[in-house]
Amino acid sequence: MQAGTMDLVTLVVFGSWLAPALGSAFGREVFASAENADKDYDSAFEYDYESLRIGGLVFAVVLFVLGIVLIVTKKCSCSSDKPRPKTPDEETAVPIAQ
Amino acid sequence: MGYGRSDSYRVATTQDKDKKESPKKKGGKDLDDLKKEVPITEHKMSVEEVCRKYATDIVQGLTNAKAAEYLIRDGPNALTPPPTTPEWVKFCRQLFGGFSILLWIGALLCFLAYAIQAATEDEPAGDNLYLGIVLSAVVIITGCFSYFQEAKSSKIMESFKNMVPQQALVIREGEKMQINAEQVVAGDLVEVKGGDRIPADLRIVSSHGCKVDNSSLTGESEPQTRSPDGTHDNPLETRNIAFFSTNCVEGTARGIAVCTGDRTVMGRIATLTSGLETGKTPIAKEIEHFIQIITGVAVFLGVSFFILSIVLGYSWLEAVIFLIGIIVANVPEGLLATVTVCLTLTAKRMARKNCLVKNLEAVETLGSTSTICSDKTGTLTQNRMTVAHMWFDNTIHEADTTEDQSGSSFDKSSATWVSLARIAALCNRAVFKAAQDTLPILKRDVAGDASESALLKCIELSCGSVKAMREKNKKVAEIPFNSTNKYQLSIHETEEGNENSYLLVMKGAPERILDRSSHIMVQGKEQPMDEEMKEAFQNAYQELGGLGERVLGFCHVFLPEDKYPKGFAFDTDEVNFETDNLCFVGLMSMIDPPRAAVPDAVGKCRSAGIKVIMVTGDHPITAKAIAKGVGIISEGNETVEDIAARLNIPVSQVNPRDAKACVIHGTDLKDLSQDQMDDILRNHTEIVFARTSPQQKLIIVEGCQRLGAIVAVTGDGVNDSPALKKADIGVAMGISGSDVSKQAADMILLDDNFASIVTGVEEGRLIFDNLKKSIAYTLTSNIPEITPFLFFILVNIPLPLGTITILCIDLGTDMVPAISLAYEAAESDIMKRQPRNPLRDKLVNERLISIAYGQIGMIQALGGFFAYFVVLAENGFRPYDLVGIRLNWDDRSNNDLEDSYGQQWTYEQRKIVEFTCHTAFFVSIVVVQWADVIICKTRRNSVFQQGMRNKILIFGLFEETALAALLSYCPGMDVALRMYPLKPSWWFCAFPYSFLIFVYDEIRKLILRRNPGGWVERETYY
Repeated sequence: MQAGTMDLVTLVVFGSWLAPALGSAFGREVFASAENADKDYDSAFEYDYESLRIGGLVFAVVLFVLGIVLIVTKKCSCSSDKPRPKTPDEETAVPIAQ
Repeated sequence: MGYGRSDSYRVATTQDKDKKESPKKKGGKDLDDLKKEVPITEHKMSVEEVCRKYATDIVQGLTNAKAAEYLIRDGPNALTPPPTTPEWVKFCRQLFGGFSILLWIGALLCFLAYAIQAATEDEPAGDNLYLGIVLSAVVIITGCFSYFQEAKSSKIMESFKNMVPQQALVIREGEKMQINAEQVVAGDLVEVKGGDRIPADLRIVSSHGCKVDNSSLTGESEPQTRSPDGTHDNPLETRNIAFFSTNCVEGTARGIAVCTGDRTVMGRIATLTSGLETGKTPIAKEIEHFIQIITGVAVFLGVSFFILSIVLGYSWLEAVIFLIGIIVANVPEGLLATVTVCLTLTAKRMARKNCLVKNLEAVETLGSTSTICSDKTGTLTQNRMTVAHMWFDNTIHEADTTEDQSGSSFDKSSATWVSLARIAALCNRAVFKAAQDTLPILKRDVAGDASESALLKCIELSCGSVKAMREKNKKVAEIPFNSTNKYQLSIHETEEGNENSYLLVMKGAPERILDRSSHIMVQGKEQPMDEEMKEAFQNAYQELGGLGERVLGFCHVFLPEDKYPKGFAFDTDEVNFETDNLCFVGLMSMIDPPRAAVPDAVGKCRSAGIKVIMVTGDHPITAKAIAKGVGIISEGNETVEDIAARLNIPVSQVNPRDAKACVIHGTDLKDLSQDQMDDILRNHTEIVFARTSPQQKLIIVEGCQRLGAIVAVTGDGVNDSPALKKADIGVAMGISGSDVSKQAADMILLDDNFASIVTGVEEGRLIFDNLKKSIAYTLTSNIPEITPFLFFILVNIPLPLGTITILCIDLGTDMVPAISLAYEAAESDIMKRQPRNPLRDKLVNERLISIAYGQIGMIQALGGFFAYFVVLAENGFRPYDLVGIRLNWDDRSNNDLEDSYGQQWTYEQRKIVEFTCHTAFFVSIVVVQWADVIICKTRRNSVFQQGMRNKILIFGLFEETALAALLSYCPGMDVALRMYPLKPSWWFCAFPYSFLIFVYDEIRKLILRRNPGGWVERETYY
């Protein structure tokens, strides 16, 4: 019983902190956009270059890491794959006309 | 020696007169002189005459004063090292050779354009200056890269050099003294013994069982006897001359030095080699051709737009700037680096497979090779005598000659074999050198004659320790081999429990042995020798001799106890015992067997359309036997002589056209005219040249080259080195090869394995194909790079793509995908293809240019322009309003330029939009290059057939995209490279074009495969 009240208290305390935090975030956003729409007719011409930059950079880094991972995994299978180019698969063995 | 040597002394070493008629380049006189016969005459003189000539004494030798005088007159007894190119010359060659020239010209033009701009404008655009600097930097960096690559190879070469100074034993003023071999002068009395290197060309004055190994000079595997008597007019053939830098294998000899240093036979060959000029490598020729095409296109474009811009009303200076700009834009900046890296990668791959390439360009040469001229001894064969066949119990048994003893063995159960093995072990003076018990038998060093060593190893392998056998049967008397007896004899104590106490064993020339035999052993039983047996012997002897093998006969007898009791004193000088009425046991024949991997390699070369010619200094019968053994003369093919023998008609009646194979003797070669020579090389597919001199090897190579072949020469001896140098690619042997041959060669087989040549051919062909793909890929993006500038001039739009972005493509995003194409697997079995025809199959041809520039490049340009117009339109500039806007757009003072919607733009704002366009154009090129690299993977097959197994290529795709994103989004790029972040939608502008390229090319390749030889193939297959 004691433990149950304890839990409840914790929940309430946590909840009471969370609610205004969420609420204010919501409210601010709504408020901000409303303000923008009020003030600035050029909003269609504004572009969030900052997040574009970050997104682009993340994209670049991810690709780069992917590429590196690919090369590293190649190193492992490299030794067993080696003879492959020497004996092309049947499907690729199309004779070349002379 | 044997039946197989019937014509062994017809030798060609003198040079034909035809050579003089052949056109000669500069410096020809010296070379012609060197190509002529060896000028030694001392072998025809008596010893006294030689002594008189050099003012020396047969006992006392030279006086010290005289020796010092000669040393000053003739110089030290050493070969002049070939003139080495200074390092800075090599470096400059890398900097200014071939492709680099194109870039240098581009850089110079850029500086020129900048200079003009600087002189005429107040604030010149820095583009041309940067471009010039970047171009120079690219050339210098790539030059350094390839210079260090080659320096690395040559460092490995250096390590081959034998640094041990040679010593020589000379007699001067009656005293024996050990001096440095460099101090030996003509006239010196020199003593050599088994194991020594001959310090100069010696006229032998006395010898004791002296034999020399001439294999590096003449290609004969067997050691040759040296004695004071002249046996032949030809100095190379006579027995009384021993040659500089050959090895004395056994016995001792004393001789007068007649030639030293560069005047020796060996020295003349070395000088001839270093004097030869070599042509360009095939790949260098291809790159030259490519530069011509590229320059042609660039100049054509440049000049037409120069005229156009004049017509359009530009000023002269502006037109010149445009001209230079267009020409420079045509230079593929990244291609030099791409080609170098591709070649280096292949060179590395080949080095891993034991082919060391000295010159980067030589990597591809083996791929173009259409003829291989191979030396026999040491290249095709193991260069060691081995027992190949035996004849006993009236059958021929085959011994195992493989290097690793993997071959089949013969039946060893017969009692005759036991006797034969006993004779071979006892009547044999060869012994294993000490402290080699851990080594496999075949790898052990043996002191003694080559054929005795062969017997020793054979017996050791099949019957166990020879040493133990010899200990059980102690030798009590011996008559060594000499040329009058032609046999070797020894008497041994028998083992315990034998009724007789002595055993006489004898080996020698088979006919001599037969003459002394009254019985023959069959299945361990002695029978009287009858006519039938004698005939069987003759047949076996002829058959083995016909295989080019050296045949020895063996016989023995148990000396009767009553006549020769224990302790009998045998006298070998007075011969107080019988040497007749012996019991013939069998024959053993020896040959220098082919290396195991060679027949397979020759077969592969043949199926790859490469003609393999054997060129050897050895005797025709041996040469032919080995040629048949390794498949150079394939089964069922006959020579003129074979046909004559089969039909029983004279050789002259055979139509030479009927014989596909032919064996040509050096003496005959000497009498051939150039036309006859061409005729032979053209009409016979399987050719063996025997008894050829180094000079003739050279002529054969020149003959093949005259017929348009790209010739590879393989060899290990000094006698091969002129041919190695002259060949398009010389391949030397890393372990057994002589220093001179390694220096003359372009490629070295580190494991001496002829089969590595096949690897070389394969890699060479693959890299040629892949370079085509790489170049096609790199050239394609030239069109979307040039067209913006052309439209800038023609229709006065804001510049769609700037110099910096062009460089980002050429030296940035395009690099990894272009290099990755070097890792592409072959599309079909490249070893089943004919070698490329250097006149028809070019690295870069019009079709490649047409695909890259005319088709794919155009689609790419469309994609780029689409992105450009989208970006401008989204910023308010509609395409129609852009035409003609350039002058206002680029006007710094115009800060109120109106777009299509009436919005006003300042100069700075306009420039930001322009550079965003550059970035969008750049990203579009990256996107269309994705499709390009995928279609460039194959030239004929569909990508779906080829697969995407090339992981480097996938890495390249990721990397180029990542780089493009980085360049666009990285903060600070707007200042550094004037590149701006792109909205995600702008990335997708070029996607349809990328898809179009892929579909277009797949359809082209589909039609190409469906209609072989059709219009599409003729016009678009590069």
